Amino acid sequence: MSNAIETRGLEYRIGRSFEIRDLALNVPEGSIYGFLGPNGAGKTTTIQLLLAMRRARAGSITVLGKRVPQEITAVLSRTGYVPERPHVDPSLKIDEALRFHAAFYRSWDDKEGERLLAQFDLDRSRRIKRLSKGETGKFLMVLALAQRPDLLLLDEPTDGLDPVVRREVMTAVVDYVSQRGATVFISSHLVHEVERMCNWIGVMDKGRLVSEMTTDSFKSGIKRLRVTGAPQSMADPPFVLLSRQPSEGVIEGELWVVRGWQAPMRDYFESAGARLTEVTDLDLEDGFVELLRTSRSRQPLEGR
Amino acid sequence: MFSQLDSRSPVPLYDQIATRIRVAVAAGELQPGTALPSVRQLAARLRINPATVVQAYRDLEAEGFVEMRQGAGTFVQEVAQDRRSSERARQARRLVRELVNEAARLGLDTDEIMEAVRTELGAKRS
Repeated sequence: MSNAIETRGLEYRIGRSFEIRDLALNVPEGSIYGFLGPNGAGKTTTIQLLLAMRRARAGSITVLGKRVPQEITAVLSRTGYVPERPHVDPSLKIDEALRFHAAFYRSWDDKEGERLLAQFDLDRSRRIKRLSKGETGKFLMVLALAQRPDLLLLDEPTDGLDPVVRREVMTAVVDYVSQRGATVFISSHLVHEVERMCNWIGVMDKGRLVSEMTTDSFKSGIKRLRVTGAPQSMADPPFVLLSRQPSEGVIEGELWVVRGWQAPMRDYFESAGARLTEVTDLDLEDGFVELLRTSRSRQPLEGR
Repeated sequence: MFSQLDSRSPVPLYDQIATRIRVAVAAGELQPGTALPSVRQLAARLRINPATVVQAYRDLEAEGFVEMRQGAGTFVQEVAQDRRSSERARQARRLVRELVNEAARLGLDTDEIMEAVRTELGAKRS
């Protein structure tokens, strides 16, 4: 399977500080890819680099098989983009903005635009500046979807929207993917929002990609272990040890958070004279938090 | 049938969907020939990746629970009685395994668990 988005060694700086550092993204064609990270991790900057709004200092970008920025025109004609902040003239009416936007795209589907406006209950004579936050979010999604793109780049598409609108918008995205098999790249700092939909996850922190894997393997490998009688220094474990904490409270035993866990690895503890008393599954959000915690403690801040 | 999908569970979503359908077929709730929701319908309804639905349906097809007919949809297959009973037994064991694990975590012993199971089953019957 080829990648809809691929970057290698991508670097971007503002002044002397690194915003993006040695970024190697692989977004498989047809995937719904959750681009996660706390605020300020570099998610929006990355999207702006992918769309050639900003120029990287080093590295390469390929989107839909085209080089960016050299072949950005071909990329933009096939890419639907929902930015973090609205990018339409607020003084226009919905149908005026729609007509103007449509003119940029050969693939534009009028009928689909109509259908989505009706589905989202948006009145085409309303002015953009009079729309509520939720209506604006829905309208931006209409613009991106009626363009019939092969790639959807959504930058925090539901940030600040109420749960009802969030559902409506995400249902429309899923429905579009079912019909078209498009690739979707969604940035978000809300893990629960994307974990149902995304089959790939990339986690950013401080301008670096901390982890990139399928959602299922991310979820299935991360466990919290309760261990008693473990000596301070032990042989290298067969799993990735993310954190090791002394016991807290009334329950005995240290807490280990590990990645890549498999049941036969119990032997590792027994051979060291320790005892594994409990294995708990962590969900995506717990795993995400642990991942950030450990990546931060391993890599002190540089260049800031 | 899919109201209790849990995206936080370590059990992958496709597996949860396939399990719901297996149980419904085993219990006779889904009769042979019944059409399952289309991939597009189910994905939109659950707001999950369409590929997840496809994977669940493929697994069910490989096990002989459903048949995917090109362009027509996905249909429940005739499943032999003994196969249905063994599926029900498998689901019962899965439930009890969860119960036993949780009970061990709380430090409950066998008598306490059995007693509670009898009480709850009795309350359900009356």
